[in-house]
Amino acid sequence: MTSTLTRRRLLEGSFAGLVAGVSSGCADHSSGRKVVVVGAGLSGLNAALILERWGFEVQVVEARERVGGRLWTLDHLPGSPEGGGNVMGSNYGRIFKMAHDLKVPLRSPPRTLPSDYFVGATRIPRDDWASAAANPLPNGWRNVPPNRLMGKLNASNPLLKTRAWHDPGLMATDQSALSGLRALGFPDAAIQLIGANNSYGNNLEETSLMSLYRVMGEFGRLSGPALAVKEVTQGNMRLPEAMSGQLLRPVEMGAPVNAIQQSSSETKVTLASGKTLDADAVIMTLPLPALRRIDMDLPAARAALLDEVDYHKVVQLHCTVEVPFWENAGWGGSWWTDSLLGRVFTRPIPGTTRYNMTVWINGDDCEDLNALDEATCIDTISRALWELMPDAREVTSVGQLVRWTNDPHAGGVWALWRPGQAATAHAALRAPVGRLFFAGEHTAESYRGMEGAMESGERAALEVMRVLM
Amino acid sequence: MNQCLRPLAICLVLSSFGSLTALANPLTEEQLYDIACSACHSLGQTSDHHIGPPLGGLLNRPAGAVEGYHYSEALRSSGWRWSIPTLLAWLAEPDAAIPNNAMNYVNPLTAEESQRLAEWLLQQQ
Repeated sequence: MTSTLTRRRLLEGSFAGLVAGVSSGCADHSSGRKVVVVGAGLSGLNAALILERWGFEVQVVEARERVGGRLWTLDHLPGSPEGGGNVMGSNYGRIFKMAHDLKVPLRSPPRTLPSDYFVGATRIPRDDWASAAANPLPNGWRNVPPNRLMGKLNASNPLLKTRAWHDPGLMATDQSALSGLRALGFPDAAIQLIGANNSYGNNLEETSLMSLYRVMGEFGRLSGPALAVKEVTQGNMRLPEAMSGQLLRPVEMGAPVNAIQQSSSETKVTLASGKTLDADAVIMTLPLPALRRIDMDLPAARAALLDEVDYHKVVQLHCTVEVPFWENAGWGGSWWTDSLLGRVFTRPIPGTTRYNMTVWINGDDCEDLNALDEATCIDTISRALWELMPDAREVTSVGQLVRWTNDPHAGGVWALWRPGQAATAHAALRAPVGRLFFAGEHTAESYRGMEGAMESGERAALEVMRVLM
Repeated sequence: MNQCLRPLAICLVLSSFGSLTALANPLTEEQLYDIACSACHSLGQTSDHHIGPPLGGLLNRPAGAVEGYHYSEALRSSGWRWSIPTLLAWLAEPDAAIPNNAMNYVNPLTAEESQRLAEWLLQQQ
């Protein structure tokens, strides 16, 4: 197990003193156990690295021709904007440790330009929001910008513990965000503004109020340790690439899985190519919409759950701006709108005079766009952009349309919990079925996003080791 | 069944289920630390690049006492010292042990695994 020892030394740093003893031990009783990991996103790669460290023979299979899953750096565009996961929260300890150990440099993200507002076609400078005639909020609420309204939920947040968001006791009182916000006294105009750009539900009727509390509580906790939000300097995808580069066996790319069959002693993974992989255990990390396509012979109730959990819809149009057209008008450079455009996030490309501008559309508003062919979709969003910001047209080039719902390997950006669902679906979806184990952000407990994916990989590796050591 | 063949048959049956939990070896304390702690805590004694404080020399150390690490006010003012009872209570549910702490963590270990891990951690210098 020389290679295991070598990687362990590399990865563990201060843990090195322990290495010699444990490495020989792990080789003694676990070598030869085969684990197939389905999906080369953060969760699968983290699980694979842990298992390899302890002597398992691990094969990661990945349907795409790239690793990273829902991390997708658009390297072909100036500034390499992120088409997928973009924020590394200040408390993402696993992510930061992995980046440190693999020498993947991080940086504080260039600051997103300040946001002004459009209500309908009316432009409202950010400093005028409270007094603007087009501000639809009633007195007492008028000074809260639309992108901060949801934060007011924290005043009544009942989730005092990390795991409380799926506590059956609290979930018994869960309700839709729509009725919950009304019951809390949010005026209808505020609820409408929240619903216009809600990153945590496709619509407020089907969004769990408790899940919004979870997100808001997490944002509060992000500011706990005195650390900063980060991103990978050369693009977030460099992290999963570095992780896959550490594996003893290369990830098998372009290898979608068709079926997983289990017998009393072995598990067989059948790839779309017809190739089969025998394993002692399988870790399935795919998001649920992609997982639905795989024949796994799950118990009926479990299989039904795969269809019941919704995924968040996001459409992005990534653009490059040559000249800051907003400056002459005194605008900040980013926009919040209640129209088709959703939000427009603009930030400078370091070392250049150009800007990345991303049109970011959330939720059910994406449905019509997802039904269009790519060229028509780009044209529809671009026209809406030029209509609201005519000055942008001559200095902005359209780079990449990203539609996560239409990606067969993702089917959305993250799992959403309908009212009451977190107490039941979350625990059920991560429970092992025989020698089939589950990871991925939808199975994480403490965190969401990238850190949740890493956390879930740890837990799945633990479950496999308990069975196979 | 032939008396000589019977042990062989039992062995064959057992080996066909050789990887079931009941027959698996428990994870070592090093493995438990590796999976459940090492991403956020080193075994050193001084603040380092990990997001959480180092765990070397933990026995009898006051909670929230490593210089250079930004603890929550809740932990710093808890009056806790790390011992088997306090560490087990912390590992079982940090939020319940000291509300409003900064460790966003749900322990994936069993009670037995946590017990062994806590004993091992407190021996680390």
